[in-house]
Amino acid sequence: MLRHALHRLLLAIPVLFGVLLIGFLLMQVVPTDAAVVRAGPTATPDVIEAIRRDLGLDQPLYVQFGLYLWRLAHGDLGVSIINNVPVTQELGATVGPTLELMVASLIWAIPFGIILGTIAAYYRGSIADRAIMAISVAGVSVPVFFLGLLLIWLVGFRWQLLPFTGRGGPLWTVDGLKAVILPAITLGGVFIGPIARMTRTSVLDVLSADHIRTARAKGLKERVVVLRHALRNALVPVVTLIGLQIGFLLGGAVVTETIFSWPGVGRLAVGAILSSDFPMAQGCIIMLSLGFILVNLVVDVLYAALDPRIRTA
Amino acid sequence: MSATDPAGLAAAAPGAEPIQAPRRPGLLSRLLQDPAAVAALAIVVLILLAAIFAPLLAPSDPYESDLSRAMQAPGAEGLPLGADSQGRDLVTRMLYGLRITLLMAFASLVLGGSIGALAGFTAAFYRRAEGPVMRLMDVLLSFPAILVGLALAAIFGAGLTPVVLALAIATIPLAARIVRSSALVVMQQDYIEAARATGMSDSRLIWRHLAPNCLSAVFVFATLRFGQVILLGSALSFLGLGAQPPVAELGAMASEGRNFLFFAPHIAVIPCIGIFVIVLAFNLLGDALRDALDPKLRV
Repeated sequence: MLRHALHRLLLAIPVLFGVLLIGFLLMQVVPTDAAVVRAGPTATPDVIEAIRRDLGLDQPLYVQFGLYLWRLAHGDLGVSIINNVPVTQELGATVGPTLELMVASLIWAIPFGIILGTIAAYYRGSIADRAIMAISVAGVSVPVFFLGLLLIWLVGFRWQLLPFTGRGGPLWTVDGLKAVILPAITLGGVFIGPIARMTRTSVLDVLSADHIRTARAKGLKERVVVLRHALRNALVPVVTLIGLQIGFLLGGAVVTETIFSWPGVGRLAVGAILSSDFPMAQGCIIMLSLGFILVNLVVDVLYAALDPRIRTA
Repeated sequence: MSATDPAGLAAAAPGAEPIQAPRRPGLLSRLLQDPAAVAALAIVVLILLAAIFAPLLAPSDPYESDLSRAMQAPGAEGLPLGADSQGRDLVTRMLYGLRITLLMAFASLVLGGSIGALAGFTAAFYRRAEGPVMRLMDVLLSFPAILVGLALAAIFGAGLTPVVLALAIATIPLAARIVRSSALVVMQQDYIEAARATGMSDSRLIWRHLAPNCLSAVFVFATLRFGQVILLGSALSFLGLGAQPPVAELGAMASEGRNFLFFAPHIAVIPCIGIFVIVLAFNLLGDALRDALDPKLRV
C-alpha cells in the first residue's frame, strides 16, 4: 500500500516538473517585462533596473529557472499586471469556491450516476435500461455551456427560482446553498453519463460472477446480493473512471465558472488570459495543474485501497 | 475530456477472435441492423454534406449583417432559424459554423492522431523504445486538454490555431495507447512472423501488414474522439479563447448569443443544439462501430 503510494508519487515528479517548466517558459515567451510590471507604472529606470537585478532577470535562463522555483516554493508568483495584487493572494481567494463547486457537483452526480447505472444493469434490456442509457449518451454529448445556459434561461430567468450569478456566501448559509445549485447541476450533469455507463457495464460483469451465484445460492436477499456483493466489487472501475474524468471535470468547471460568474480559479484563468495578465495566467495554470496532479494521486491511492490486487502491481 | 471509457476503446483491438470463424456479414450490413447506428450514420453524412457544400446551400453571406432584422426569432419571414444580434441569417451562420467546427476537429484529430499512431507503432514494434515512449505519453496524458488549451492561448493569444494544437496534443497520448495495444495483438499473429521471415524491412512490415490490421480500432477511436474534440474545441471558443467573432464557429456563436440570452435565446441555443446533435451522432456511430467490429463487447 505504502509502496504503491510512493511509486505513484515518484511518477508524479516528472509531471510536476513539466508543469513548472511550462509555467516558466510561458513567462519567457510573453512580451512583458516582469521587472517593469513589479515596479509599477510610475517607477524610474533606476528602480526597474534594481528590481531586475533583485529578481535575477539579468542571470542566465537556468539560474532564472532556479530562482523561479525558489520563489514559487515561497509562494511568490509575481503580481498581477492588471491590479497589482500578488497572484498568490488572488489565487488563494479563488481556490475555495472552485473546490466548493466541484464538491457540490460530485456529491450528487456520483451517487446518482451509480444508482442509475445499477438500475440499468439490474433491469438489463428493459425500458428503464434503455432510457437510462439514452440519457447517458445524451449526457456525454451535451456541451457544458448548453446545459448551463438552458438552466440560466429557464430556471433562473423565466421561472425566477434560483440565482445564477456569483457565489451567495458560504455553503452552510441559505443564500450560499441556493447560489451553488444551478452551477452544481450544470457541472454534475455532464458527469452522470459516463458514471452511469461505467457502473452498468461493471455491475453486469460482476452479476455474472461466481461469488454472486454463491451469494444467491446461500439464499441471501436480492437487495443484499446487489448492494453488498455486486455493487461493491463493481465500484473499482467506477472509481478509476472518476479519476480519469478529473480533467474533464476541470474543463467543465472552467466553463461553468465563467457562465455563472462563479469566483473560482477557472474564471480567473480565463479572465487573466483574455486580458493578457500573464503572471496571473501563469499562476492559475500552475495552480490548476497542481490540483489535477494531486487529485490524480489521491484517486490512485484510493483505487489501491479499494482493490488489494493493485497494490503489488 | 475523454467521456467514454478508454478501456472499451482499447478492447476494440482486432484479431482477438479465432481465425476459423465463419465469415461474418460485412461491417456495413452489421451496422445497418442497428436503427440507432443507421440514424447516427445518416446524420453524420448529412452534417458532412452540409459542411462541404455550405457555400452552395447557404442563402446569404455569413458575415453580412443587416441590423434591421437583428435578433429576429426563428420562423420570421425568410429566416427559418431567425437572425443573430447583427441580423445575420442563422441558417447561413450554422452551415458555415458547422464547417469551421468540423475542420477544427478534423485538423486536430489528423495531427494528433498521426503523431500518436506513430508513437504507438514505435512502442509496439521496437520493444526497447516502449518504456520511454509510453512514459512520455503518460506525462502528456497528465495534462487535461483544457489546461493545454489555456496554456497555449496564454502563450499565442486566443485563436483557432492554438485550439487545434491543444486538441491535437491532448489526442496524441490517447491515440498512442490505442494504436499500441491493437498493434501488440496484431504482432502476435502468424502472418507477421511469416512476413518477418521473408526478410521484409521494418517500415514495409509496419505499413503493409501492421497498420492496415489496426485500422478498425483506430477508426472506432477516431469516431468517438471526434465528438469529444468538438466538445472541447467549442468550449474553448465559447470561453473566448478559440475562434474570434465574427468567425462563424459554433462555440463562438453560442458565446455571442449568451449576451442576448434573455431577449433572444435562440441565438445561443441554436448553435448549442447543433453541437449537441453532431457530438451525439458521432458518439452513437462510434459505439455502433465498436459493437459491429467486436460483438463480444456488446453488453
